[in-house]
Amino acid sequence: MNKHSMVCATLVGLAGILAGPANAQETKQETKSAAGVAAVSPVTQEQLNAADKNSKNFLLTNGNYAQTRFYPAKQIGRDNVKNLHVAWIFQTDVKESLETSPIVVDGVMYVTTSFSHVYALDAKTGQQLWHYNHKMGPITTYCCGPNNRGVQVLGDLVYVATLDAKLVALNAKTGDVVWSTDIADPELGYSETMAPTVVKDKVLIGTNGGEYGIRGFLKAYDAKTGKLIWTFNTVPENSVGVWATKDATGRDMHRDIQAEKAQLAKTGDPYAKLGGGVWQNPAVDLATNRIYFVVGNPSPDLDGSNRPGDNLYTDSLVSLDLDTGKYVCHSQYIAHDVWDLDAVSPPVLVNVKDKSGKTIPGVIHAGKTGHIYVHDRKDCSLIRFSEAMVPQENMWVLPTKDGARMLPGANGGVEWSPIATDPGQELAYAINLHQPMTYHVDSSPYPNGKLWLGGAFKVIPSEKQSGNITAVDYDTGKIKWQVKTPEPMIGGILATAGGLVFTGEGNGKFAAYNSSSGKELWSFRAGAGVNAPPSSYMVGGKQYIVVGAGGNTQVDFHRGNNIIAFSLD
Amino acid sequence: MDGRLNWCRSGVVALAVILIGAMPSNAQSIEEKTQICAGCHGADGKPIDKTIPSIWGQQQGYIYIQLRDFKRGDRKSDIMQPIASAFERDEMLAIADYFSKKPWPDLGQPRAPKDVSERAMKANASVGCTGCHLDRFQGDGTVPRLAGMGRDYLTKTIADFRSHARANNPGMSDLMNATSPDDLTALEEYLSGL
Repeated sequence: MNKHSMVCATLVGLAGILAGPANAQETKQETKSAAGVAAVSPVTQEQLNAADKNSKNFLLTNGNYAQTRFYPAKQIGRDNVKNLHVAWIFQTDVKESLETSPIVVDGVMYVTTSFSHVYALDAKTGQQLWHYNHKMGPITTYCCGPNNRGVQVLGDLVYVATLDAKLVALNAKTGDVVWSTDIADPELGYSETMAPTVVKDKVLIGTNGGEYGIRGFLKAYDAKTGKLIWTFNTVPENSVGVWATKDATGRDMHRDIQAEKAQLAKTGDPYAKLGGGVWQNPAVDLATNRIYFVVGNPSPDLDGSNRPGDNLYTDSLVSLDLDTGKYVCHSQYIAHDVWDLDAVSPPVLVNVKDKSGKTIPGVIHAGKTGHIYVHDRKDCSLIRFSEAMVPQENMWVLPTKDGARMLPGANGGVEWSPIATDPGQELAYAINLHQPMTYHVDSSPYPNGKLWLGGAFKVIPSEKQSGNITAVDYDTGKIKWQVKTPEPMIGGILATAGGLVFTGEGNGKFAAYNSSSGKELWSFRAGAGVNAPPSSYMVGGKQYIVVGAGGNTQVDFHRGNNIIAFSLD
Repeated sequence: MDGRLNWCRSGVVALAVILIGAMPSNAQSIEEKTQICAGCHGADGKPIDKTIPSIWGQQQGYIYIQLRDFKRGDRKSDIMQPIASAFERDEMLAIADYFSKKPWPDLGQPRAPKDVSERAMKANASVGCTGCHLDRFQGDGTVPRLAGMGRDYLTKTIADFRSHARANNPGMSDLMNATSPDDLTALEEYLSGL
């Protein structure tokens, strides 16, 4: 019997089989395994407010509400860091891109993995206390890997946002689900990879989806009940703006304003499918009750022909009132972006010098462009921008059908990786990518929640890639020191009062550097890409450094599944 | 197209209309709803025609989205559109779940030689296939597994993405058009041999 006859025979036989028994359908089950109970006291708002001075715990994704990633303990310092060694290794069940920021509360560590798993560990031994295996819905639509960047704890609840766009509150002691709420529809391109920020009984969460034609948002949920309190749409119904022809640094972006105005008259404001994801945590200014976050790229990434205007508030720093979610101010880095050189690294609140040299409350952000932008916290206005941390060439050449070369490539500069700061030295530490790319444009209509790039970014295989760790004086914009790395860097960095910065590379190297000079003082080979932000904490009078080594999907670094904690003898 | 195959495909459509129309789809078991699929996708998970995709062991979200798109007409197919049109969302999800739990079929395709694999890996590094299809091209959610997929199907669907004959994922069309034909050939050979 040939294959075609078999088709026919199969068809003939179908009718006789149709009355067969029904199969019991399996369902994806949420599972939770517990070896013990996490003996933690409820985390109070007062503790969170003072996280920047807490040299025992690591309570927020970026260390504290200002997101300085400056850890105040200094037991591990420049003189003894050479003695740092592995204290324990915990292997998760998921060998895929690891971007978690470990959170530590009274000797209990909470980490997450790709596909939204959550683990509670004994921070002293690495022993698993419980594991929450999220019951993933069948529809997930996400860009850049099934990542999760961590949890936050308030009271006796652990909050995690999931790949299928849910916000889940877990019992901090047991990992049991206390409540769960749908944030958005994953079938339309929404997903969650960021860690929530919890403050004053509100859980703040953004969304991914700028590659899928979503309408981005930042939402606030009641921390006790999961009820929605407010929504701020990152793209307002009037997204046109001021028809800016130059970027924040004053360079011409080669926009065809007349063509855009004609398109606007023809198709109207494109706000409904304009993207504008929020990938990373907002910073919270407790004194003014305001939050600061950055908004990602417009949809589609490379094709601006159907989205006339500045595409507000994509590629912008935005500030809101914490209680109401009402707009306060914004500053746009790239209007009408057609390169996906958007704003993703979380902003940091530090005091900065204004143009007259006066110290004022500031907010800084490291861009994919390779600049660190320094703003006045009061009105979001740009005070200065740093020297470029990576090569910039041919900016802003417009994408073409056959591809136009421009540097930086579309991953940056600084990707989602959080920066660290040392306020005593007025330094910001950023990790950068250098990936030469060509930018291609190809117009297509909105595809109902599918990948909508409007073209392609292509790494140029013949050109060498690299990375760097850069320290920038944010009061002058000058680069203080820079360490070159053999591969592009993505993950994050931590500064400590011990005069150190810790960061990892895609080749598995995890190292400590003198935070004043960049001199390498210690390193360790993790065996998989160290592409996650490190944390630090104290247990039993001993300081630890902890980091995930699981590689990275986006840049395709070697995968692993290790959480590695280090301490001194 | 082979005339006999064409006849049988027509038979699939006709039978689908008869069978699906004969009984309310919500009264059918999952086996009844999916019997029709074996005619082309294979009773053992190995497609009858090499230009037809493997659906056994495929990602649930991906199968669901394709059924949805066939029903909406976003993905064109004279065979699949009438079949998918008979189902509501929950039924599509159940069908997708059913097939996702079947074992991935071994089509016995040869592993690509080293030079082809290296070319494929360079192409992957350039446009970032594994950014969505994930490590070892296993897929997840609404993104399909490509590892071990039939080579002729890969060739056909990539060509359809490039020409926009397959228009239900313009992002894929963009990426495929940004990749050279020689690189795509290498990818097809590499992926089918995984």
